[in-house]
Amino acid sequence: MLRRLFAPRPVEGIERGIPVSIVSMTDVVKSYPSAQKGGAPVVAIDGVTLEVERGDVYGIIGYSGAGKSTLVRLVNGLEKATSGSIVVNGTEITSLPERSMRAVRGDIGMIFQQFNLFNSKTVARNVAYPLEVAGRSSAEVTARVAEMLAFVGLSDKAKNYPDQLSGGQKQRVGIARALATSPSLLLADEATSALDPETTSEVLSLLARVNRELGVTIILITHEMDVIRSLATKVAVMDGGRIVERGDVFDVFSQPENAASARFVSTVVQGIPSPVEVATLKARHEGRIVTFSFRDGNASQAQVFLDLAAAGIRFELVYGGINDIRGRAFGHLTLALTGDDAAIDSVLARIATHSEVTEVSR
Amino acid sequence: MDKLIDLLPLLGEAAWETLYIVAASLLFGGIAGLFIGLGLYVTRPGSILENRFAFTVINVLVNIFRPIPFIIFIAAIQPLARAVLGTGIGNGALIFAISIGAAFGISRIVEQNLLTVSPGVIEAARAAGAGPFRIIRTVLLPEALGPLILGYTFVLIVLVDMSAVGGYIGGGGIGNFAIQYGYRQFNPAVTWAAVLVVILFVQLIQFFGNALARRIMRR
Repeated sequence: MLRRLFAPRPVEGIERGIPVSIVSMTDVVKSYPSAQKGGAPVVAIDGVTLEVERGDVYGIIGYSGAGKSTLVRLVNGLEKATSGSIVVNGTEITSLPERSMRAVRGDIGMIFQQFNLFNSKTVARNVAYPLEVAGRSSAEVTARVAEMLAFVGLSDKAKNYPDQLSGGQKQRVGIARALATSPSLLLADEATSALDPETTSEVLSLLARVNRELGVTIILITHEMDVIRSLATKVAVMDGGRIVERGDVFDVFSQPENAASARFVSTVVQGIPSPVEVATLKARHEGRIVTFSFRDGNASQAQVFLDLAAAGIRFELVYGGINDIRGRAFGHLTLALTGDDAAIDSVLARIATHSEVTEVSR
Repeated sequence: MDKLIDLLPLLGEAAWETLYIVAASLLFGGIAGLFIGLGLYVTRPGSILENRFAFTVINVLVNIFRPIPFIIFIAAIQPLARAVLGTGIGNGALIFAISIGAAFGISRIVEQNLLTVSPGVIEAARAAGAGPFRIIRTVLLPEALGPLILGYTFVLIVLVDMSAVGGYIGGGGIGNFAIQYGYRQFNPAVTWAAVLVVILFVQLIQFFGNALARRIMRR
């Protein structure tokens, strides 16, 4: 008992033999029959394999129509997969009849872009709804509703109707409703896309609490890279129904490998000049324009300046930015270098051994 | 004018009869229309009990019966009324005809009002694990209640209109009174007295319908 209390808390489930993955998708395809008779079917999800581990905040990003909303609806069976396997909480759900699917949904919360609150019910009745569906006793429902409203900070709004609330408050009610039955997984479908920036950060910090304090795994769909940056631990980039890149948020942000990911990253990451900006820089500054990229705050930034100074190269900082992702930093600095061309070439070659060097213009 | 004063007790009786006929038709036709309308809504493609066959059958049935002019329908349905009620004339047969005739029209109004419920709200209920019948009972009908009340207010006024031809099959009511004592006896004052009663009914129905809907929708 004591050992259990003081031992570092293991990932929930391991000791009970539950696999670490809470959602495991393998080669999932979802296609819809064509709108026209005899037309080719529309493929929304084109062979997706995805593992979401317990405790993750897994961000899925992509442009509208990339298939991310469909993907998240496959996880709680609101959409049926055409082929492939989806295992949620140890249950293979692709072959599950609708009636059994309803029980699985009780352990998956969902929040929506448009909140989707029941306008005919009070805030308290909205939060109570999933509990009533689950057949809890009325005493249990009352206690749990009070607890959830306190958690999202809306105890005083229990008797109000949704149309009397602000957007941020509505989404907090949505979160309370989604978590009422203590699910282990929360699906967030563009949960902050209808909110202003201030309310967005309020809802994001609530979701961070949900993950940290309640241990709820979150799958987060968004087209806003900023949401991924502030909340997600892992990210998958979707394009044309496929996952084109995935991994640790820091890795994808600091070194995107796919063109679509790079476009998303550039919307929030400061420091890499666009081609238009390069032209402006070139007109404004003499010499060669070179971008140095640094990851994880290693010593290489200082080394770059030492190397340049040692070679007698004059340099001027013309563009750049340092980004912080959950305590890890990376950055891009663009310098205009003037001096002997051969000397610049040799010093760039030396710097390239410890830092990333991109000559954007000469 | 003296004639009208003599007829006032009959007018009062006819007014009560109209209320009775309309109320009974609303009960039977309204409930039948609610179920047919729900059927249309839940079986349509993409809905919670999607069923192309059932939807087509209900849809075609509604489209067949709804456009029949009521004065013809009332005659056409008479054999069925005779088979079910034992008589093809009188207020009973009239209520029978109105209930069936109105049910198909009501079903369209119900369907339209249910379609105003946001699909996202239905999806939220599904995501919470609710089945189709629970969704109908606890989400769909409560969410559409305000518009449904306005729809049924409209229906109630249509029923007053339909009940006016009751005299053709020996039914009573305000329409029969106007035809029998006003039109056939060349007494426009009597006809207009009946018109005033109908206007009063319609105003009252609309007033209470609006008030109730406003209360439900809290605006």
